[in-house]
Amino acid sequence: MSNNDILDMYIYETNTLLEQLESIVLDAEKENTFSQDNVNEIFRIMHTIKGSSAMMEFDTLAQVSHRIEDMFFLIREGTMSVVKEEDRPALFDVMLHSVDYFREEMEKVEAEQPLNKDVDSFLGNINSLIAKIKGEEIPAEEPAKASAAAPAPAAEASAPAAVRTSEGSAEFPYGLRVFFDDGCGMENLRAFMLVTSVQGFCAEADFTYQPAGVENDSSLSEVVIEHGFLLQFRSDADRARAVPVVMTAGSVHSYEEENYVPAPPPEAKPSAPVQEAGPAAQKAPAAPAAQSGAQQHQAQGQKESLISVGLSKLDQLSAIVGEIVITEAMVTGSPDLKGLHLDGFAKSARQLRKLTDELQDVSMSLRMIPVANTFQKMNRIVRDMCKKLNKQVKLTLVGENTEVDKTIVDSIGDPIMHMVRNSMDHGIEENVQDRIEAGKDPVGEILLSAQDTGSEVIIQISDDGAGVNDEAVLAKAIRNGIASPDVEYSHKEILNFLMAPGFSTNTQVTEFSGRGVGMDVVKSGVESLGGSVSISSEQGKGMTTIMRIPLTMAIMDGMEVSVGNSIFTIPINNIRSSIKTTEEAILHDSVNGEMVKMLDGYYPVIRARDFYNLPGGAERIDDGVLMWLESGDCSYCLFVDELLGEQQIVVKPLPAYVNNFDIKNYGITGCSILGDGNISIILDAGGLYAAARNG
Amino acid sequence: MSNENVLFQVEEDEVETNAPEDEGAGSRKHLIFTVDDLKIGIDANQVVEILHVYNATYLPMMPDYILGIFNMRGQIIPIMDIRLRLGKPPAEESILIVIDYNNNQLGIQVDSVDLMLDIPLESIVPIPSQSAQKLVSGMCTLPDGSGTMLVLDCEQLIARDYV
Repeated sequence: MSNNDILDMYIYETNTLLEQLESIVLDAEKENTFSQDNVNEIFRIMHTIKGSSAMMEFDTLAQVSHRIEDMFFLIREGTMSVVKEEDRPALFDVMLHSVDYFREEMEKVEAEQPLNKDVDSFLGNINSLIAKIKGEEIPAEEPAKASAAAPAPAAEASAPAAVRTSEGSAEFPYGLRVFFDDGCGMENLRAFMLVTSVQGFCAEADFTYQPAGVENDSSLSEVVIEHGFLLQFRSDADRARAVPVVMTAGSVHSYEEENYVPAPPPEAKPSAPVQEAGPAAQKAPAAPAAQSGAQQHQAQGQKESLISVGLSKLDQLSAIVGEIVITEAMVTGSPDLKGLHLDGFAKSARQLRKLTDELQDVSMSLRMIPVANTFQKMNRIVRDMCKKLNKQVKLTLVGENTEVDKTIVDSIGDPIMHMVRNSMDHGIEENVQDRIEAGKDPVGEILLSAQDTGSEVIIQISDDGAGVNDEAVLAKAIRNGIASPDVEYSHKEILNFLMAPGFSTNTQVTEFSGRGVGMDVVKSGVESLGGSVSISSEQGKGMTTIMRIPLTMAIMDGMEVSVGNSIFTIPINNIRSSIKTTEEAILHDSVNGEMVKMLDGYYPVIRARDFYNLPGGAERIDDGVLMWLESGDCSYCLFVDELLGEQQIVVKPLPAYVNNFDIKNYGITGCSILGDGNISIILDAGGLYAAARNG
Repeated sequence: MSNENVLFQVEEDEVETNAPEDEGAGSRKHLIFTVDDLKIGIDANQVVEILHVYNATYLPMMPDYILGIFNMRGQIIPIMDIRLRLGKPPAEESILIVIDYNNNQLGIQVDSVDLMLDIPLESIVPIPSQSAQKLVSGMCTLPDGSGTMLVLDCEQLIARDYV
């Protein structure tokens, strides 16, 4: 494993732990207490972060997580009752802050920026909280507490050392105690030479030794003479390998193997004088027990049989599966079989089809992950905004186990966040009294739900706030020049103004919203995923935003149409309807453009054959079909020869060489391989219209 | 129809190989093909496949020498007619060579594929500048004395701006 892999692993692992931590804290805050399970879990998380951060030499991270671990150690020993009621909000705040802090630092680690070295004030916060918690504890521990609660530097200096002692025993249970020949001299350096030779076959993270610092502290010689030099290994195998090394080393008198027992180890005593008195001695008996508990927990966590796989491998897999499906169709539909009656073959072919279908489903499901993570993040946003805006709102999540393609989950986070903020800021009434008067629950509610319809996922964000004030929106739209004062707009049209760029009804720019980039970001974000957004609202009752997003970007529903010999696929989402009409229904404008009258208005007609200079295709409108397409705010009719049918297709990008020719600007976004091995070209309704307009 | 095409792609393994097995350090195998009586060679390492039967899907809005795209075992590959690219009239019969240059795959339609030859690198000389040609990076006399070969410049071929 290269260094980078380890770093990636570390970042991934830590971020996962942080997400876990955040959701625990948010849940606990609602209950206003940590359950013992939660405390154990947080303890385990902090312990892991501490360990891995120390290993990666991010010392500040290790320090902070260590202090939090200390704090939860206290809570764990004394249960939540050691935290006074009035201190609990502070505890939750500190925990959430630390999540933020770690996240920020993780981003820096990822960006290879230097970490924030100044963590004293943050540590101070934790320390003072620890002091408060300890204040409730057995008064006999007074002196020890004083030193632990002392401002950062002093506490920090002693704490890591103390931990090393205790952690050493817990994590490195296999000890090897070496005694040197009497009077051989320079015992500390001999001990250090042992360490160097052990390093030859054992990674530094996999063993430790006591007393520490033998390489440059000759006073330790006496400790080594009296108590021997203790090497501790993570695994028995490493220790077994160390034995011959120790035996052949010079001046070694004897050695003993000893295994770690959670009880106060005898070596705690010799190490105490070396590493400052107070906290080390006080912690030694208790900490190992805590550590071994954490170990058990870790082991439990690892039982979950999950592996993480690179997205590129999954892409490769789905590409191959796609090919298998096509090949299967080619084999079973081979023209060579025409006219043959092959019962056995037909049977096996059916079986093969069933299996390939299954294979396709499985390979697709591999890329699917639940939206739960994204949804959980909203809890935090609602909580923070409740505090800042002084509103009381609860967030209800429905269907967070709905699974969506990974790339989509990654990109719906921002739109959902915008909408939740919007609801918090603009939706829920400023004044609780207003809610009570309107006969609503004083506590506002934001509902975030996800629903899988098979081909798309519907994400709904609704609040029970004041709803949209049509007049205010219209007035604002007119002021911003989006709407014209002379036109009468329908309720639906007014709601659509909300999604126009640069529109925000809130006159004040707040920390959360009001920059006027909320809704249009949502709209463009969702549309770039091939989805759509719609808003509905009833004044006084609240507002609902519905996002419809395809389950996966790689597969979409399309209508296949033919023009001459070419086959095109039009995304189903863009199609309003298809109409057979006659040449007479076509109207002409002054510049040779063609139009057709549909329901409520006139729409331009674009002939695919002429626009793309295709070699063949119907010339007369009577011989073809008009496809009424809509995309964003453009609406027009595309004239094609024939509808071939609706099909789910696997989208493939066009070759890079072809993209060089700006083909995307002509409304061609990709292609897809049809069941018979032919290629259909995927059209982008919006791009085609824009190109036709400019051409 | 296309089923057939893809099913019965023929890999041109039987192209005769004159070169001895022990490939010298100073020589490279070249695949030699004919375009309008010109012998053109291409480094065999860049050749992915040779196909007799393929079915181009017309792609609109492309230059005329791009015949379209085709599906080679799930990969979408553009097809270029070298004759049209060089401004020559289209041929009656053709064969497709799929090349891969820096991960850009391109099918080039040529008249016929002749043979595979070991060409000593030092025998490749630059084209005299006064008659600098499109798409050719050098030339050499064939070791068997059958004529002169032009070396195809894949970089120019794939670069977009060079027309």
